[in-house]
Amino acid sequence: MGSKHKIIGKPERRVDAWGKVTGRAKFAEDYSVAHQLWGKVLRSKHPHAKILRIDTTKAETLPGVEAIVTARDIPGSKVFGIVVKNQQILCEDRVRYLGDGIALVAARSREICEEAVALIEIDYEPLPVISDPEEALKPGALPIHGDKNEFVHHKVCKGDVEKGFAEADFIIECTFKTQFVEHSYIEPEAVLAEPAEQGGVVITGSVQNLFSSRRSVAEALNLPLSRVQIIQATLGGSFGGKDEVMTSMCCRAAILATKTGKPVKMVNSREESMLESYKRHPYVLYYKWGAKHDGSITAMEVRCIADGGAYASMSPFVTWRSVVQATGPYCCENVKTDIYAAYTNNNYTGAMRGFGSPQVNFAIESMMDELAAKVGMNPLEIRMKNGFENGAVTATGQKLTHTVSLKEVLTKAAQEIGFEAKWQKYRSLKSGEKKRGVGLACSYRGVSLGAEGTDAAETIVSVQTDGSVIVSSGVTDMGQGAQTQMSQIAAEVLGITMDRIQFLNTNTSRVADSGPTVASRGTIMGGTAAKNAAEKVKTTLLEVGAAMIGCDVGSLDLAENYLINVKTNERLASFSELCAECFRKGKPMMGFGWHHSPPTSWDEEHGQGDAYFTFVYGANATEVEVDTETGKVNVIDFVSVHDVGKAINRGMVIGQMCGGVAMGLGYGLLEEFEIEEGVPKQLNFDEYLIATAMDVPRIRTIIVENEDPAGPFGAKSVGEPTNELAAPAIVNAIFNATGRRLYEIPANLERVLLGHKLTRTGKRGSEVKANHG
Amino acid sequence: MYIRVVSVFIRGKYSMRLFEFYSPRTFDEATALLSQYGADAKIIAGGTDLLIELRKPGAKTPKAIIDISKISELTGIREEGDLVVLNALTTHSDILRSQTLQKHASLLCSAASTIGSPQIRNRGTVGGNIMNAATCADMVPPLIALDAQVTLKSRGGTRTSSLSEFFVKPYVTSARPDEILIDIRFPKPPAAASSSFVKLGRRNAVSISRLSVAAILHVEKNALVKEARIVPGSAFPTWQRVMEAESILVGKKPSRELFAEAGKKVAEVMISITGRRWSTEYKEPVIAVLVRRALEACWDN
Amino acid sequence: MRESVGIIATINKKKYEIEVAPNTTLLDVLRDQLGLTGTKRGCEIGECGACTVLIDGQAVNSCLVLAAQIDGHEIVTIEGLADGNTLHPLQESFLDHDAVHCGFCTPGMLMSAKALVDGDIDPSEEEIRIAISGNLCRCSGYQQIVDAVKEIPKK
Ligand SMILES: Cc1cc2nc3c(=O)[nH]c(=O)nc-3n(C[C@H](O)[C@H](O)[C@H](O)COP(=O)(O)OP(=O)(O)OC[C@H]3O[C@@H](n4cnc5c(N)ncnc54)[C@H](O)[C@@H]3O)c2cc1C
Ligand code: FES
Ligand code: FES
Repeated sequence: MGSKHKIIGKPERRVDAWGKVTGRAKFAEDYSVAHQLWGKVLRSKHPHAKILRIDTTKAETLPGVEAIVTARDIPGSKVFGIVVKNQQILCEDRVRYLGDGIALVAARSREICEEAVALIEIDYEPLPVISDPEEALKPGALPIHGDKNEFVHHKVCKGDVEKGFAEADFIIECTFKTQFVEHSYIEPEAVLAEPAEQGGVVITGSVQNLFSSRRSVAEALNLPLSRVQIIQATLGGSFGGKDEVMTSMCCRAAILATKTGKPVKMVNSREESMLESYKRHPYVLYYKWGAKHDGSITAMEVRCIADGGAYASMSPFVTWRSVVQATGPYCCENVKTDIYAAYTNNNYTGAMRGFGSPQVNFAIESMMDELAAKVGMNPLEIRMKNGFENGAVTATGQKLTHTVSLKEVLTKAAQEIGFEAKWQKYRSLKSGEKKRGVGLACSYRGVSLGAEGTDAAETIVSVQTDGSVIVSSGVTDMGQGAQTQMSQIAAEVLGITMDRIQFLNTNTSRVADSGPTVASRGTIMGGTAAKNAAEKVKTTLLEVGAAMIGCDVGSLDLAENYLINVKTNERLASFSELCAECFRKGKPMMGFGWHHSPPTSWDEEHGQGDAYFTFVYGANATEVEVDTETGKVNVIDFVSVHDVGKAINRGMVIGQMCGGVAMGLGYGLLEEFEIEEGVPKQLNFDEYLIATAMDVPRIRTIIVENEDPAGPFGAKSVGEPTNELAAPAIVNAIFNATGRRLYEIPANLERVLLGHKLTRTGKRGSEVKANHG
Repeated sequence: MYIRVVSVFIRGKYSMRLFEFYSPRTFDEATALLSQYGADAKIIAGGTDLLIELRKPGAKTPKAIIDISKISELTGIREEGDLVVLNALTTHSDILRSQTLQKHASLLCSAASTIGSPQIRNRGTVGGNIMNAATCADMVPPLIALDAQVTLKSRGGTRTSSLSEFFVKPYVTSARPDEILIDIRFPKPPAAASSSFVKLGRRNAVSISRLSVAAILHVEKNALVKEARIVPGSAFPTWQRVMEAESILVGKKPSRELFAEAGKKVAEVMISITGRRWSTEYKEPVIAVLVRRALEACWDN
Repeated sequence: MRESVGIIATINKKKYEIEVAPNTTLLDVLRDQLGLTGTKRGCEIGECGACTVLIDGQAVNSCLVLAAQIDGHEIVTIEGLADGNTLHPLQESFLDHDAVHCGFCTPGMLMSAKALVDGDIDPSEEEIRIAISGNLCRCSGYQQIVDAVKEIPKK
């Protein structure tokens, strides 16, 4: 048990927590400078329309207004996008969803901004609004971009599904639907853009993917990357959500700052945030499985349509993960999966914790329970029968060479909650106002970006002359604790205590482009880079130590803030003395660590390849109480089991597990961002309901550690897998309780009681429209 | 240490427009201001409804906001003989913790405990809840079940109104703009009666009522129902006792079946008033269940 | 129309005389006029609790209080929780229990927790959950926060 490490796996306080409990932590909106102006966006009044005329003359004459900007004033690229460059910083001739911006105002106060925005006149010619992705894909549908609305089609093809269906004893076919989900980071978006001394801009903001935002700002302003500096403010949550929406905010603020020559601050209200920001994709999922009476699966055919909304954003990547994982951790010789993404006039959809897995997991895990019911097995048995084991070959033809712990996590989850006995008992209870049920769900998940993109990261470990250490990385901390993990790794290698380490928020001009902190790659990528960096410094320090003591390097090590003799554990010099000596000798005390992920491969045509360099496994088990007379579901017990490789920081891993479950519970029961004819219905937390402390039960967490050579100290990842299983586990538990399956989430009052959703007609409630003049 | 800050911060964006702010300490000052401004003034108590209204873009901003929170006579809960009196500024937290109410009208404590969050309960007042007159206001059904009266004060004098006749339609009461609601009073229910409040929300906290029911049940020694009062919330445009359902109970022996029958009746009455709407498919069976449960809860006490 | 109202209030034990615009909230005044940015703005409609402060010892949403209404009252914000560099036991406990993730909800959580433990030194899990039910946290799933409040180091 962990005794080989001093810091890794130990309960260490987070490096960034002191500032957060005292109120000193500075989040983006907390930054203000003298003479700053306020910036505001005029957003569209129509979900889909041509812009015929933009007249800003009245607004320009308003006292206190310092600049008004439209698309024409953007010197460089007017569009950005990580995969497809079609997202407009400001719209010139066409708006594609209600969150689209048309003009910007910079003014002395927010009030003046508001007035000025109201004075800008726009003439629109409304176009038909396409809000259903399946409609959008039909021939003849008005294309929202280019000549057709289909912009992604990923495939996986293995064996021969026709043959598989022919061999089957029976076929199960189901259609599932998932909803738009708002990230609901509690901090709304904010930036402060300041003109830089030598030209260019310095931006401080709530930015998740600093490097891609920087690229877009540079392109919009025709600046070299070196002249655009983005500094990450302490981030108040992101969950994948502060990417493109922040890129556009950064570009807008930078344009205003450049134009006025003054600092410009932009802050979204919650309503603006919900209106403009991208969401998790709703999917329609058509699942067809062929199976035998013994429970084995002979064929799986899957077709999914993702609503991409108005812009491509991360859809191509998100849906790629879906296509790889769409048939789950289950053995099947014959697989055919097709995933499409379509443009619509809804909010665009992109990265959100889970990244294409929550949708397919809901379908797969529901199907598994359906299959169990058909063949008279229990949900655990059916998964044990079909689940991956060591050496399994996935749907994409990848042979798994790491420890495949699916059955270990499943068994642990089931045992902890007493699954089989309860499942048997609850299904046979006939009536009752309140009925209990237990549910199970499991998954496998590819770690990091996989064949989705270039996967490399940098971390810098800079030892100071007094023995304190500054760590910085291109991998950002969004609250998940990446800074702490990287610090722990550096401290472990350098044999020092955590109090010596100071972590700097990411600054694009100080560290190398490390790609996005998505796909739970913080630990495995940033952490490995931190390890490499610290090891470099350690080598230098030991060499200096050897010269100082007069012995050979091999007999020395660093531990507990000292240079020690490895044999006798004798303390030879303090870490501080060693650092001072290192400085005197003129040796470099800074280590640059770089990590490039192991190779992956992908054949787009056949949908086959080694999609990810390693995978993680998780299982959730839950017990719910269903009020059969009102449809109210209470989650009363929850077990979350994840194989994380190695827990660098147990408290943080548990935190990720609990947070992921709470978010997954919301996905399963509460959350729904509804868009009707392009108009969102929920714009604040009064109507968009996320779980409170009263909705989440005590969660029993079990950490499984099968160290993986691919990660630092054997660590893999934990951020996203924790979020992708709660919803299907809950829906399966509802099935166990009521005998009725829900094919759509969230399982809200109406769906549980009536089996379908009720749609409000007419207006009501908080009709605070964010773009109201 | 003493710090003086003079620069005034001006705010835009989802903010309120400017208004005059007054903070009277006495009734006289307050009623004078109200008669001066009339419909151009708005009272603020806890502000948990009003500030949300004022923040909405396009909201009608009053010329003056009159903060009544400094009028000390407006706070407190007391007994006056057979009556219980809640002064208008009584917060939901006060109600929740009140021994007097626990004893005489525990359904008020139950209702208060379901309102918003601790922060909202610490600020929100019973007077504000009534005057805002939202269909989902949780204190109103129990107060109507208790046969409460409201006392209103203006420069012209004081008047009372029964709460059940006080509401005109959602968000509209029959109070004049120059009137302050000063207290709410109700006769103590018989000691043998018991009461309950059940609320159904989408979440377990900070959740507005999807539906609610306040009930009072008085069962006599002979084990027959002497009196029953049933007031659903979020079911009708304004609140009312459902006499048709109450009369089903009177003189009968309490039972689950009887309560269920009363519940069905309430659902029927609801539909006869509101007609069938998008939400009826759900509300019809559920209101019947909640009525049954509210009565069962009374019976269990 | 008067552009400002003069108020006197005690904030974190210091007495302030402040000219506030009538249409500003306590949250605005704390953050933008007094530079006490530890109190967070998440929704401005009383739903998220990020703006929670104490008025006369009670937890309230500062976004739903007119600044002018605090005249004569005592306010405590997150900046007033620690005693200089000595953290409040709740703050220590949050650090020890990993109850801080992104930290955006943390100031509000701490203020709600303080209101609770000031009145009741040994609250039950249920009482803790009720006390923080008006504070949304998207990161933690609440468990470590509940544990932190339950297991405050004894002074
Ligand atoms: C997050 C949140 C959750 C909520 N949850 C609930 C809930 O679950 N259940 C529920 O019922 N309500 C809920 N509310 C609404 C609100 O908190 C309550 O209605 C509260 O009781 C209102 O009281 P107040 O003192 O804050 O009213 P204010 O906002 O001060 O006033 C409301 C209205 O009443 C008028 N008014 C107030 N006092 C008087 C008086 N004495 N005389 C004349 N006019 C007066 C005001 O002019 C205003 O029009 C919630 C609100 C929020 C923000
Ligand atoms: S900002 Fe006040 S409750 Fe959200
Ligand atoms: S720690 Fe991020 S919202 Fe609570």
